[in-house]
Amino acid sequence: MMKLSNIRKVYGKGSLEVPVLHGIDLTIEDGEFVAIMGPSGSGKSTLMNIIGFLDYPSSGTYELNGEQIAAAKETTLAKLRNEHVGFVFQQFFMFPRDNAIKNVASPLVYAGVSKRERTARAKELLVKVGLGDRMKHLPNQLSGGQKQRVAIARALVNNPTILLADEPTGALDSNTGEQIMKLFTQLNEEGKTVIIVTHEEEIAAYAKRIITIKDGLITDDRRVTT
Amino acid sequence: MNIWDSFKIALSSIWNHKIRSILTMLGIIIGVAAVITIVAIGQGTKKQMTDELFSTDKNAIDIYYEYIPPEDDPEMMFWEEPELTSEDVQTLSKVPGVKAVVATNQGWGMMTHNDEQGEMQITGVGAEFFPARDIQVVEGRSLYAADNDGLNRVVLIDTIAREKFFKESENPIGEIINLNDNPYKVVGVYESPLPEQFRNKETGEMLMPRSVISMMFGNREIEQLKVIASDPENISETGRRAAETLTAVKGLENGKYSTNDFEDYERELNTMISLLTLLIGSIAGISLLVGGIGVMNIMLVSVTERTREIGLRKAIGATRRKILLQFLIESITLTSLGGLIGIGLAAIGSILVSEFSPITATVSPLIVLIGVSFSAIIGIIFGLLPANKASKLSPIEALRYE
Repeated sequence: MMKLSNIRKVYGKGSLEVPVLHGIDLTIEDGEFVAIMGPSGSGKSTLMNIIGFLDYPSSGTYELNGEQIAAAKETTLAKLRNEHVGFVFQQFFMFPRDNAIKNVASPLVYAGVSKRERTARAKELLVKVGLGDRMKHLPNQLSGGQKQRVAIARALVNNPTILLADEPTGALDSNTGEQIMKLFTQLNEEGKTVIIVTHEEEIAAYAKRIITIKDGLITDDRRVTT
Repeated sequence: MNIWDSFKIALSSIWNHKIRSILTMLGIIIGVAAVITIVAIGQGTKKQMTDELFSTDKNAIDIYYEYIPPEDDPEMMFWEEPELTSEDVQTLSKVPGVKAVVATNQGWGMMTHNDEQGEMQITGVGAEFFPARDIQVVEGRSLYAADNDGLNRVVLIDTIAREKFFKESENPIGEIINLNDNPYKVVGVYESPLPEQFRNKETGEMLMPRSVISMMFGNREIEQLKVIASDPENISETGRRAAETLTAVKGLENGKYSTNDFEDYERELNTMISLLTLLIGSIAGISLLVGGIGVMNIMLVSVTERTREIGLRKAIGATRRKILLQFLIESITLTSLGGLIGIGLAAIGSILVSEFSPITATVSPLIVLIGVSFSAIIGIIFGLLPANKASKLSPIEALRYE
């Protein structure tokens, strides 16, 4: 469970201050499937970065599983990212010279897991995302959808609490995007907390809870019941 | 992630940019190769100079006569060196610190025997010469003091002359040979001190009582006088003491015996070598500095190029320290590799120098160690700024970087 209280974020200093988040209160339970929507410049990416420990709030508190995060310390944030969050990006972000297995295993390198175990875990997850026959391929030998699957496997490899995806289908055609979203749905059904940042209604429609942000404030938070 | 993982990432990154890496390393390679080659040559030169100084006359020091013009007549340039005798040799050998005295004179002569003819260098010696110079008598006997005192016309020939003038089966001992149309009796054969490779063109040498040389050739009985010190450390002091003793014994007024002061010479040699080392050191320092700046430059480019990779690594949990370490190891690997290649080139250079010049240049393990650690240190110094820059990148901005 994560609980954000009165989160504010201001970029810049003095007269150049740009407030981005104006006090966000948000609680996300384990196992939820959340879509964060909003127009560009609304602050949704900043919120995602804060949730994913890539950034820290200027003020406000963030509790993860009941424990308050003592923010602003690089090493602490890096450890939290490594242990609790799996990122999926719009542009996939692969290590271009490493094959699928190595790409998937890369977070484990920083977690201090032995090479044998890293490879085993990576293979297992590649099978899970449907790339059992593409394990030794380099990123440039994979299609966009396949790359995103590798990225999802990589996000899962540390067995994180939260799966954070920033426009995960933004660079994919609608057909492939649909398959990726089905994969997220499946992972959510298996118990993962999935948070997707998007500006597309169709993508948000996969989620069970849709949060809308505008000008740094939550303007809408509704649960979808099907 | 341990150091080994970082090292492998560093190696693959260097391998992926082969040409760039080699060009970057070039400064370090040239710097290290230059330093090590020059140090190797320097050490070789020093060794050769010291060898030349001490080798043939190990622990030996010359004693020579020096004329001092009388005070009332400084223009007086006519002088005669005092005669030295076997008695003086005896006196000198009793001076503390003196192990042996070598008193010799020289002659040349045409030797004829068994229809063979050859010009021979003759050294006139006393009985003390054999132990002092470690002369190995392989046939017959050495010279006795009695040979000198009795003006016995006996000679010892060296193994080269034996081969030239006598058949293998022939016993040269007791044979009479002809030297400048005078007969002499061969009493012994001694092992030539010449190294094997110089022997084939030589006709050989012979030893004779120095009194006989003095009588037959008309020169002085003792032309060269050396003392051999029992302790190589005190060679200069022993020499000085011997010279003073000899001056006193001879009761000289317008002259004295003196020795070369090796200490001065050694000091001069050391000053020269340290000066040379300093000069080379500065040149090498500049070269390595330029090389280091090149490394820093390319590492900065590399950090910029790999901004997104750094962002991604941070997103998946790499700490600032891990990123810093990764880039630092990369720059250390780069410079150490350059250093190793430089050492390799220096080794080849030293072999070539040794092959084609009289100097034996040797790359010592110590200098190799210094070379490698020095290039690694350059990697640390010049890698620190780029690595620090990489580690401080914000993951969000790094991922957004186009």
